[in-house]
Amino acid sequence: MSWIRHNLFRTWWDAVLTVALGAVSVWAISSLAEFVFVTGRWEIIEVNLKLMLVGRFPEQHLWLASASVMAIAGWMAAAFGSDPRRPEDVMSMKAKLWDTTQRFGLIVLLGVTLMMLAGLQESLPVVAGIIGAIVAGRLLNLARRRMSWLKSWPGIIWHLVVVSPAVVMVSLTLLNADLELWGGFLVNFYIAIISIVLCFPLGVLLALGRKSSLPIVRLISTSYIELIRGAPLFVLLLLAGVALEFFVPPSIAPGSIFRAVTVFTLFTAAYLAEIVRGGLQSIPKGQLEAGKALGLPAWKITLMITLPQALRNVIPAQIGQFISLFKDTTLAGAALSIVEVLKVSEAITKQDDFLGKGYIYESLTFVALLFWVGSYVMSRESQRLEKKLGVGQR
Amino acid sequence: MSNKVFTDATRMSDNRHESDAIVRLSGVYKRYKDFEALKDINFAVGTQEVVVIIGPSGSGKSTLIRCINRLEEHDEGRIVVDGTELSMDIRNIQEIRKETGMVFQNFNLFPHLSVLSNIAIGPRQVRNIPKAEAEALAMELLTRVKIPEQADKFPSQLSGGQQQRVAIARALAMKPKVMLFDEPTSALDPEMIGEVLDAIKELAQEGMTMVVVTHEMGFAREVADRVVFMADGEIVEVGTPSEIFDNPQEERTKKFLSQIL
Repeated sequence: MSWIRHNLFRTWWDAVLTVALGAVSVWAISSLAEFVFVTGRWEIIEVNLKLMLVGRFPEQHLWLASASVMAIAGWMAAAFGSDPRRPEDVMSMKAKLWDTTQRFGLIVLLGVTLMMLAGLQESLPVVAGIIGAIVAGRLLNLARRRMSWLKSWPGIIWHLVVVSPAVVMVSLTLLNADLELWGGFLVNFYIAIISIVLCFPLGVLLALGRKSSLPIVRLISTSYIELIRGAPLFVLLLLAGVALEFFVPPSIAPGSIFRAVTVFTLFTAAYLAEIVRGGLQSIPKGQLEAGKALGLPAWKITLMITLPQALRNVIPAQIGQFISLFKDTTLAGAALSIVEVLKVSEAITKQDDFLGKGYIYESLTFVALLFWVGSYVMSRESQRLEKKLGVGQR
Repeated sequence: MSNKVFTDATRMSDNRHESDAIVRLSGVYKRYKDFEALKDINFAVGTQEVVVIIGPSGSGKSTLIRCINRLEEHDEGRIVVDGTELSMDIRNIQEIRKETGMVFQNFNLFPHLSVLSNIAIGPRQVRNIPKAEAEALAMELLTRVKIPEQADKFPSQLSGGQQQRVAIARALAMKPKVMLFDEPTSALDPEMIGEVLDAIKELAQEGMTMVVVTHEMGFAREVADRVVFMADGEIVEVGTPSEIFDNPQEERTKKFLSQIL
């Protein structure tokens, strides 16, 4: 009671603000809830769920896509998370439960919603597979921390081993299922994850290039970064769609998903390079001098001392860039006529059953929900990573 | 402590002792645009000798010590460390840096590495010693600076005095022939200065060759074989601690000492 008085009604102006904002929130939340639970006509999603999620992905290869998602989930569960490094990081059972709820609650909620929409029979095997993969991943992670012979593996080998099923499954999916048939949210997900993986090393190299002592390397990196950052993403995507035809005969021209991945990778790398460069500049000169004084060669100083600290310092900005990329994949539909989720969401409103009845609200809301949950998880995990690696912050 | 060869400036250039000088600077100049930070520095450090450099701030003490391992580049003159001359050749520079350990005013520990890794990184990455061996060496050195229990912590979890002792251990891990201390206690809280000075004194007693820039006059008097007084980028006076502190010859030395003692 005193908390309310102190924080919400301290002065008459506070009181006015509290009442006004409270009213607005109540109105906003209640209209959203009304839309979601009462007026929303979700049958359009129910009927088209598969189209939204995977488009016209070939039925006989669908298991590959599901297995890829399982392998990726298993990899993440195995690769990330470790024992707390400091005593103050040890969480009580209650805190841990709350933390886990915050991290995965939304994803679980989305999963349950999707299961309800899809019907249990269709979705149960997939969901069971994903849960199984996560449990297996966690067990592996636990084994790595508890069993001495596993502990002695170098980190890089361990990571290669646990990521390999995901890489194999993703490659198999890419090789077997005709790319032109891919569609829905799966495409957004694949474009985003492949571009993120590819743009990261390129961005780091560009950042180092821009700080290089070799004038040519510096010039190339700087021109690249400024050129790419000067162009709108949508224009680059459109260009990728048409310009290639000038150089390559249409018969061997790469497919539109390949082009989209290329553009997103090149585009994000330029932004990432500037973020990483900022991080490198934030490292005190003394770190460089300490490395030099030990006799470390310049490349080892960069690789082991300045770069790791720089990357850690810019985690929020890096993840922010990845979230942007994830959401920007919706541009690929309009620019490269890839049938990604936004395009599907528009197309389904033109089906005979739904045409001209304003189903676009439900359709777009669903798309927004998918992206929102994805972005929330990334942002949340970035905070976690930041906190975890913040160990040793000066 | 044997081999206290050089007791005054004139004997430094004595040919008979050439081989004993592990660090030798002759005619060294360092300029920042129009400002001469070092003017005609002639100076040598003998094996197992402890040289303490004192002087007012801006006198070039730190610049001098930083020239020895090429953290600053000198513009004129010669610097020879353990028979290798500092030149633009990066291999020579690396060679010299391997043989010289440096301790900084601000510790400059690597915040993303554990205390143990901070110490082991030099031997592992520069001398290519296997991980287990490097870590054993690191542990041994941590015991020597009396904080073995901090091995798994991160630098930020340590006090200033402990951090500086880790920095000393990190430099020692390279088994250097010379240790350079650049105002090792200036960033410390007063109550922590003693523990760091003790660690340095112990090193001196074990026969480590060292060049120390410091404002701690009591320490200088106690451990120095020779004291170098610098002002305005020049070496003004060199002598034993008692010569410098009890019977300074130069006006500038007298003035400086009267201001700080």
